[in-house]
Amino acid sequence: MDMDMARDALVQEARELLVAMENALLEIETDGASSEAINAIFRAAHTIKGSAGLFAFDLIVSFTHIVESVLDRVRNGKVQIDDAMLSLLLNCGDYIGALVDAIQNRTENEEPDAARRVVLEKQLGAYLEPPAEAPAAAALTATAKEEGPQQIEGSGGVSSDNWHLSLRFSPDVLRNGLDPLSFLHYLSSMGRIVYLHTLTDNLPPLSQLDAEASYLGFEIDFDSDADRAKIESVFDFVREDSQIRILPPHSKIDEYISLIALMPDPGRLGDILVRGGALTEVELEQALQQQQGQEIGQKPLGAMLIEQQLVPEPVVSAALSRQKQNEEKKSHEQKFIKVEVSKLDQLIDLVGELVIAGAGANLIANRKKDAQFEEATQAISVLVEHIRDAALTLRMVPIGEVFQRFPRVVRDISRELGKEIELIVTGAETELDKSMVEKLADPLMHIVRNSMDHGIEGTEDRVLAGKSATGMLRLNAYHESGSIVIEVSDDGRGLNREKILAKAIERGLVTPDHNLSEKDIFRLIFEAGFSTAEQVTNLSGRGVGMDVVKKNIESLRGEVEILSQAGQGTTTRIRLPLTLAIIDGFQVMVNDEVFVIPLDLVIECVDLAGHDARHNIVKLRGEPLPFVRLRELFELPPIQHNRESLVVVQFGQQRAGLVVDRLLGEFQAVIKPLGSLFSGIKSISGSTILGDGRVALILDVPHLVQQTAQQQHSLTQSAVAGLLTNNKTTER
Amino acid sequence: MPISEQTRDGHLLLQLEGGLTIFQAAELKDELLQALAHAEHRIELNLAAVEEIDSAGVQLLLALKHEAASQQKTVNYSHHSPPVLAAIDLLNLAATLGDPLLIPNAR
Amino acid sequence: MGKTILIVDDSFSMRQTVGIALKGAGYDVVEASDGKDALSKLDGRKYNLIISDVNMPNMDGISFVKAAKLLPNYKFTPIIMLTTEGDETKKQEGKAAGVRAWVLKPFQPPILLDAVSKLVMP
Repeated sequence: MDMDMARDALVQEARELLVAMENALLEIETDGASSEAINAIFRAAHTIKGSAGLFAFDLIVSFTHIVESVLDRVRNGKVQIDDAMLSLLLNCGDYIGALVDAIQNRTENEEPDAARRVVLEKQLGAYLEPPAEAPAAAALTATAKEEGPQQIEGSGGVSSDNWHLSLRFSPDVLRNGLDPLSFLHYLSSMGRIVYLHTLTDNLPPLSQLDAEASYLGFEIDFDSDADRAKIESVFDFVREDSQIRILPPHSKIDEYISLIALMPDPGRLGDILVRGGALTEVELEQALQQQQGQEIGQKPLGAMLIEQQLVPEPVVSAALSRQKQNEEKKSHEQKFIKVEVSKLDQLIDLVGELVIAGAGANLIANRKKDAQFEEATQAISVLVEHIRDAALTLRMVPIGEVFQRFPRVVRDISRELGKEIELIVTGAETELDKSMVEKLADPLMHIVRNSMDHGIEGTEDRVLAGKSATGMLRLNAYHESGSIVIEVSDDGRGLNREKILAKAIERGLVTPDHNLSEKDIFRLIFEAGFSTAEQVTNLSGRGVGMDVVKKNIESLRGEVEILSQAGQGTTTRIRLPLTLAIIDGFQVMVNDEVFVIPLDLVIECVDLAGHDARHNIVKLRGEPLPFVRLRELFELPPIQHNRESLVVVQFGQQRAGLVVDRLLGEFQAVIKPLGSLFSGIKSISGSTILGDGRVALILDVPHLVQQTAQQQHSLTQSAVAGLLTNNKTTER
Repeated sequence: MPISEQTRDGHLLLQLEGGLTIFQAAELKDELLQALAHAEHRIELNLAAVEEIDSAGVQLLLALKHEAASQQKTVNYSHHSPPVLAAIDLLNLAATLGDPLLIPNAR
Repeated sequence: MGKTILIVDDSFSMRQTVGIALKGAGYDVVEASDGKDALSKLDGRKYNLIISDVNMPNMDGISFVKAAKLLPNYKFTPIIMLTTEGDETKKQEGKAAGVRAWVLKPFQPPILLDAVSKLVMP
């Protein structure tokens, strides 16, 4: 379970790193190589390799290793980064992405595309040096490893079945955080310490003791099935500046002789060795005699010194000449806590309950007419409002998360189409609800592809039209009155009204006698099955039309519109509510029913009496405003009442009026989704629970505005049947 | 830090608390030297509250013992805490650092 | 008595995976995302071991270790550094700063756990 979490984290992090890598590569392509960008690419490969290594995901480790090696050479200035390499690295990033997908799908042991990998590795290999130094180093370690078995077979071995370890740690080990005690403890996990003698000979008198230096030595007889390399590895970290001598079972007596010779008092060590059973009395005597003989002999000391190197340090410090890497500059990486989305949702749910409970308390306070109580609940309300806002911002992420994939998309598609297209991204920091980010990606991708495919002309056509050879595609986002607006603009040929209309007529979407406004014509693009492309290219002609885009956006309670100027370009504008969970609502009442209108969309409230209101059009300051009576809309029984109020709402550029009985004021509405029973009602976007526990319906203002506007349209042009409206209502 | 209290017959009783590691070793060494100078014959060091010990701590105890002997004084260690016992056991130092009243843990 | 390990790595997934392995072996784990963050966590808490990456943004592992070695409460704390083949220069710097325990990336958790148990008594 835990490891599953870790695996998910690996996948998520790898994806983020790949995005960073891709951005850095694209940055190099446009702005030239910088050490920062190169480091970012290197770090991505490096970190993915490291994390994947933890799980022994060998396919991805071995591949990223090669990429990392090439990048290391780039970093060290041995290889220049050029166009070919950029493309190669982008492709490698994609392949790493495929390997990451495999990890997510639990198929990490299957190569996603072996042929592709071979090609990539071959291309990468061209940037690498042939491995020259490696075999030498390998040979070195190999000889060191062979020592053990040879000695076991040698003649004249002692009778002991145990290993003997003689350890003299350097004075600095403790200061370096290495405690001999813990090494010995670790050793004991590998076998049985038969005998251990702690040597205190070097320990000075207390007054002269450097309490932080290490003085102890150890002679150990050790019973273990582990091989020499394994036992040696216990002392990996201390080997460099300590004397570690390891004698295998049945070592030659010479080995012990040289060991004894190292001691200031050979007799004592001999005693220790006998006590631990490393040597028998006879063997010791033999050894002492031989040692005396050697001392008269020619080169015992030198031989001993060589033997002291018994445990060679295999580390080959190769790249000392390597360029010293610049101190890493402060990167743009920010600190984040990663929180599971489900936890966040839970918090928001709770805040929602808090809002409802708070409203309940407010209600009671109002009824009790207790000033202090009211004041207290008021203070709590303010705090709850702040908590609500803060909780909701936790879910907000910059739209840059969606935008960031487009530089690569635009690069690849423009190459494929043979068009020169420059991408400009603005407003990437604009925030919106996380859940929307995920659902926005596909529609945006489709719109962008559409623009590149059909909007922006080929270079020749552009030059002929007197435009710059390079086409421009712009992604923009900004906040506007409680909504986030996302625009995809191009400076291409614009939409062709006649062509669209002709196509729509051909497809039977409209009849030729319809007199449609430009806006209505553009809207036809979003009708199911509509495609303007004369020839279906492999990019846009995938059977997914703009109707799917529209449906996706509408499912987010948003709307999409198209603005276009022939010959100058097209802008697709998406408008979405900022959040999906809680809204500031405005309560209105019709009969005994309470309805909630999103406050952001309310422009003003006026008394309907005294205004000229006929045929659902009211003249407001001289301007006609279409309106709808909620009583009629929801088929509520008529009641005797003296006055009606008009709530003016706006969505996008359009306004409409809603006629109600009473205005109840502001209220925080926690949006509860409607049950499937209500999903057919188009004027309602959700429900909410009032402070007294009653349910109120939240009005779908975008839909109402559109509907009333279209009614007005059809009224003013009564000859034209409200086809779009009809079309809409029959559509679902 | 040792908490000391004088008992009768010049028998000094000290108690060590907390860590007996390289982090405290230098400071402890000075205090132990002082305590030894104060003691007339014998120091008993209560190790019951030692939470942690490393090689630096072990060699400090060994050096104190040696030092005392050279001054014709005696140091005894008593009430060893489990971490101390584990270290003494691993290093086979029960004979030197063990409690004289206890039979050393035969391995 | 619980043993606490500070793990310093800019990779979230590395910290998490290593963290799970260490917790599974009975250690308490504190995480830091780079040298600077790690330094802020040397606030008097006791660590039985520090595991640090070398290459990190903001403050790399070597600078962090050098800084830690100046703090009385941490100057002798065992340190394992996670390194790569390419880090030879950094490794020399680390050695000069007193780092002796190195684990080569990429590694699997048992390798690291092995190194940890060499340096930390249970």
